[in-house]
Amino acid sequence: MSDQLKSITFALALCLVCSVLLTAASTIFKPAQEQNIKTDRRKNILKAVGLIDPESAYSSERVDQLYSKHIMQLAVDQTGTILESLQGAQPSQEAALPIYLALDTQKEIDAYILPIETRGLWGKIYGYLALQKDGATIKGFTVYKHSETPGLGGEIENRWFQKNFAGKKIVNQSNQFVSVSVSKGKASDTVTEQNLSNYVDGISGATLTGQYLTKGLQTILTEYEPLSIRFRQNILQCRMQSDAPSKVQGCENEKK
Amino acid sequence: MKKNNPILQIFLRPIWGDNPINIQMLGICSALAVTVQLKTALVMALAMTFVVSCSSFIISLMRRQIPNNIRIIVELSVISTFVIITDEFLRAYFYDTSKQLSVFVGLIITNCIVMGRAESFALSNPPHLSFIDGMGNGAGYGLVLVSVAFIRELLGSGKLFGVQVVPESLYAIGYEDAGFMLLAPAAFIIIGLMVWLQKTLTKGRGVNK
Repeated sequence: MSDQLKSITFALALCLVCSVLLTAASTIFKPAQEQNIKTDRRKNILKAVGLIDPESAYSSERVDQLYSKHIMQLAVDQTGTILESLQGAQPSQEAALPIYLALDTQKEIDAYILPIETRGLWGKIYGYLALQKDGATIKGFTVYKHSETPGLGGEIENRWFQKNFAGKKIVNQSNQFVSVSVSKGKASDTVTEQNLSNYVDGISGATLTGQYLTKGLQTILTEYEPLSIRFRQNILQCRMQSDAPSKVQGCENEKK
Repeated sequence: MKKNNPILQIFLRPIWGDNPINIQMLGICSALAVTVQLKTALVMALAMTFVVSCSSFIISLMRRQIPNNIRIIVELSVISTFVIITDEFLRAYFYDTSKQLSVFVGLIITNCIVMGRAESFALSNPPHLSFIDGMGNGAGYGLVLVSVAFIRELLGSGKLFGVQVVPESLYAIGYEDAGFMLLAPAAFIIIGLMVWLQKTLTKGRGVNK
């Protein structure tokens, strides 16, 4: 056998063995990994509304328990009407958007949570943005998946960056929707005092990540604006099956 | 055990006299990145030890069959297979730690220590010795990582393995955590000091090369 043929045969055999091993590893670990991802998302939803302390550890059972007690996964259509599921939108309208409601112990709405999926510098950024029931104040922001540069744009997953969002407004002082933006550098150095409530501190060395996040948040908040308006004016509307097991309180069922 | 036991020698040499980080200056990048907390450092050290010892073992098993012209590619395939298996395992059972380690588990593939041991030891020694050599190098790497992480976590956040050890009363009288310790340059300085210390201690006896 010539040397070249030997090399090729050896390489092929090695590739085969390695791929079998990798396939096996991937198949064996998949269920546990998916479970972890699910728990992690639930944890981030709870973190966004402040039901979980980001500094402490929680078991997956505890997370599931808190989640099923306080969080309701629903949908919202283009008019801001809350639906039971994504399939509930009327045919004349565009597709519904997913929404999570955080309920307090009296089953009343405490906050609503928008899933965030937006472009970052190197890949997509996934997270959650929680808004208080006044429809204007941000309750919390979390990121659970991204591919930004560790140490620069990657700081978006850290607490110091995320906690800046709490208490910021998505409306300006005359109650007009303006979204929330990531400033370049410290917000107090770059924007005027009256706009300060619409800006969070940026990350130095990660201007582009901040810009993409600003753009993404603006797009997403605009999509959900009909719902936010309803929250601001306190005229929530729902379209649910009458036998829905857990109805949302404070939400008038739409007249048929 | 006898002092000149060759297997023990192979295991101990990379821990002190020929330490991959302090003496050979390899794997510095990951040592800066994952040593903010003891937990991540320990997991990284274990992952690294697993990868370097197993890949050295396999490469040494095949050392007479590997065609010389594709030697490096073969080594890399073996190493990356182990790295991916480790990464998948961590994602399944140590999800939070694996999230914190982010890309650095995957980057074990490019860690010069693994490649270096395969090239300089596994290709010319029998499998059991290569395995021991890998364990030694992993332990040497891990020892430095854990020492650096110990200093950084203790001074930087007053904790060890996430448990508060600096008492509240000390904070009350004005003690503050050194935030600088949480930044990468701190690890650079600590490793620098460790290298200096070790070189001073071994001066005159020479490094066992």
